[in-house]
Amino acid sequence: MSQKKQKITRIEQPKTQSRAEQLHYLAQLRGEIEEEKPQLNKKKFIIISLIVLALLAGILVYSNYMLDAIENANLDHRTTSRTLLLMLGRDPEVILGGSDAVIDEELARVNAWSSIFLVARLAAIVGLIAYGFYAIITLLQPKRRKPNRSFWGDLGIYTMLFIIAVAMAFPLVFSIASSLKPLDELFRFPPKVFPDHPTFDNFSDLIVTMGQSWVPFSRYLINTVLITFLGTLGHVIIASMAAFVLAKYDFPGGKTFFKIVVTALMFSGYVTGIPNYVIMSKLGMIDTYWAIILPAFAAPIGLFLMKQNMESLPDALIEAAHLDGAGEMRIFWTIVMPNVKPAWLTIIIFSVQGLWNTNAATVIYSESKKTLVYALQQIQAGGIARAGQAAAVSVVVMLVPIIIFICSQNQIMETMSSSGLKD
Amino acid sequence: MQSQSLLKRSWDIRKEKMHYGWEKAKRMKICYLFLAPYAVLFTTFFILPIVTSIYFGFTYYNILEPARFIGFQNYINLVLQDEVFLTAVKNTFVIAVITGPIGYILSFLFAWFINELPRWLRTIAVVVFYAPSIGSGAYFIFSIIFQGDAYGYLNSLLLQFGLIDAPLLWLLDPKYILPVIILVSLWMSMGTGFLSFVAGLQGVDRSLFEAGYVDGIRNRWQELYFITLPSMKPTLLFGAVMSITSAFNVCDVPRALAGYPSTDYAARTIVTHLFDYGFSRFEMGYASAIATVLFLIMILCNKLIQSGLRRVGT
Repeated sequence: MSQKKQKITRIEQPKTQSRAEQLHYLAQLRGEIEEEKPQLNKKKFIIISLIVLALLAGILVYSNYMLDAIENANLDHRTTSRTLLLMLGRDPEVILGGSDAVIDEELARVNAWSSIFLVARLAAIVGLIAYGFYAIITLLQPKRRKPNRSFWGDLGIYTMLFIIAVAMAFPLVFSIASSLKPLDELFRFPPKVFPDHPTFDNFSDLIVTMGQSWVPFSRYLINTVLITFLGTLGHVIIASMAAFVLAKYDFPGGKTFFKIVVTALMFSGYVTGIPNYVIMSKLGMIDTYWAIILPAFAAPIGLFLMKQNMESLPDALIEAAHLDGAGEMRIFWTIVMPNVKPAWLTIIIFSVQGLWNTNAATVIYSESKKTLVYALQQIQAGGIARAGQAAAVSVVVMLVPIIIFICSQNQIMETMSSSGLKD
Repeated sequence: MQSQSLLKRSWDIRKEKMHYGWEKAKRMKICYLFLAPYAVLFTTFFILPIVTSIYFGFTYYNILEPARFIGFQNYINLVLQDEVFLTAVKNTFVIAVITGPIGYILSFLFAWFINELPRWLRTIAVVVFYAPSIGSGAYFIFSIIFQGDAYGYLNSLLLQFGLIDAPLLWLLDPKYILPVIILVSLWMSMGTGFLSFVAGLQGVDRSLFEAGYVDGIRNRWQELYFITLPSMKPTLLFGAVMSITSAFNVCDVPRALAGYPSTDYAARTIVTHLFDYGFSRFEMGYASAIATVLFLIMILCNKLIQSGLRRVGT
């Protein structure tokens, strides 16, 4: 602890900040002084913006024009090539008097330029995006900006963040877009990201295909819903009961047990899949729903999050209930559980996500007990004839958990803030 | 004489402690009652599998016949005879060493970058970064992007720009499979760890930043290293556990993209190898030996990372 303090004080005091300025800043942080809006000279900002935008747009338009012209100049007809080369500003005497070989040489020279224009165009686009962020940051200055943040740092970070976010979102957008494409557009060359004639045909085809399947589609749906519902319900109750005593009572073996659970966080279902299969077969649970539901009851992540969250409940609350003569069960149901609502919402969501996505192909064999995801994967495996439906399937499977997450985002964030592992 | 009495005394103390512990356990009966349902299920489906897989690792077991004890034969075969396993170990390590640390660092950095955005923008950013890892099967789209013919998105893009002459077999050519899988795993690496980072950063005590400012923290990187990271250590540990899990258990992505088995075993990982022996050939003993090796590797990594993280910021 003392070492840490030393390290921080060893950094030199910034010369530019006077004591008064620092005090002023601290007062601002505490909200004692209304912060003056940062000195934003509107006139200056507009003039700079106009110059920058004009410059970038100029580069963009010019390089686009040149790239087009170069592409056209490459056309085979010698006469057009000649005119276009002239338009590109090459020496008229050489062009008009020259043979085809000379023209080809000129063309090669012009083509060498094209890469420069490509780079210029790219730079202009990146510049425009960066400028957009600059404008946003300047105009929407956060109310309490930290003074030790450099403006250029913000600009760089947010620009990078934006580009990466676009890259991350691209596959998702692409999959949604391809599910809306009619079949002929799915196999178009060159492929396009967005469909020209978006339709919901793929989705309606999917429903038709499923209606004709050997086991009715509703059966798969019911299986999944049943598994998800029972698994989640049991998980929440059992895991919270265990988490309650682990968090609030000190009893022999409790800490050790929790350590084992934390270690088990690392082992995904794949690794324990083999021995689990052996155990299930010994227990006679192969090809029953229990093979999916019972392991889900004991998922370590739920207990872990619940316990970390319950630790922040004040002990006094429980002691008071004890003094009033409430038993442990009553304390658990009427005091602890209502107070950790975000936590159990979170573990419900994690559990639903996990169970919704199980295909359970290793433990369930009868067709009538298979899950929705399994049925959808069978459709996906149908090859080219089912390409459109496959795209629709991946959207259906993907969107359900994402929408659930978006709806419950706030609660999840609240719970995750106590997810730290103390060593 | 002296030593004996000391021994006796320590024995007495231990007995006393045991007795005390037993008494306490008896008083806390209700706690065990609460813990029991979870403990029973957890033992059956998480502890028992690990124990049995260690046991079956020393046997020949194919479910139909009773297990036959064969000592270390499985492990010897793994290392000396099974070349595919060595490929799998190599692939798993390449994937884990690249996606584990990079995914971990990236998810922290992104969580930190979006931390100071306004609330609505932060929510959007969290959804964008987290969506790939929850939308299960979302990686299916990469099989269209990396499709081997000219209709594949990447191929057609490269063809249009004239960077390649013929479409590349991204998912069939052993040269490209592993990089593609690493890329997709990185895309999916912003998982539970990322969420807890975002939440943890919101919970850092603000007065620490004020104190740091007065003490002369000049830029964001100093603030990150001296204040933010040290006060987030528990969250960092949790994130590390999560990223080890996802880095070593790569299984679905190679199976969905590169096929199963993949060309030349180029996308074979330890987990797919385990699946192959466990569920295709039903050599449960051998598969259990593979699982045991994986357990050991993961626990070792966890210990290493924990001791590394303890030094941050001190």
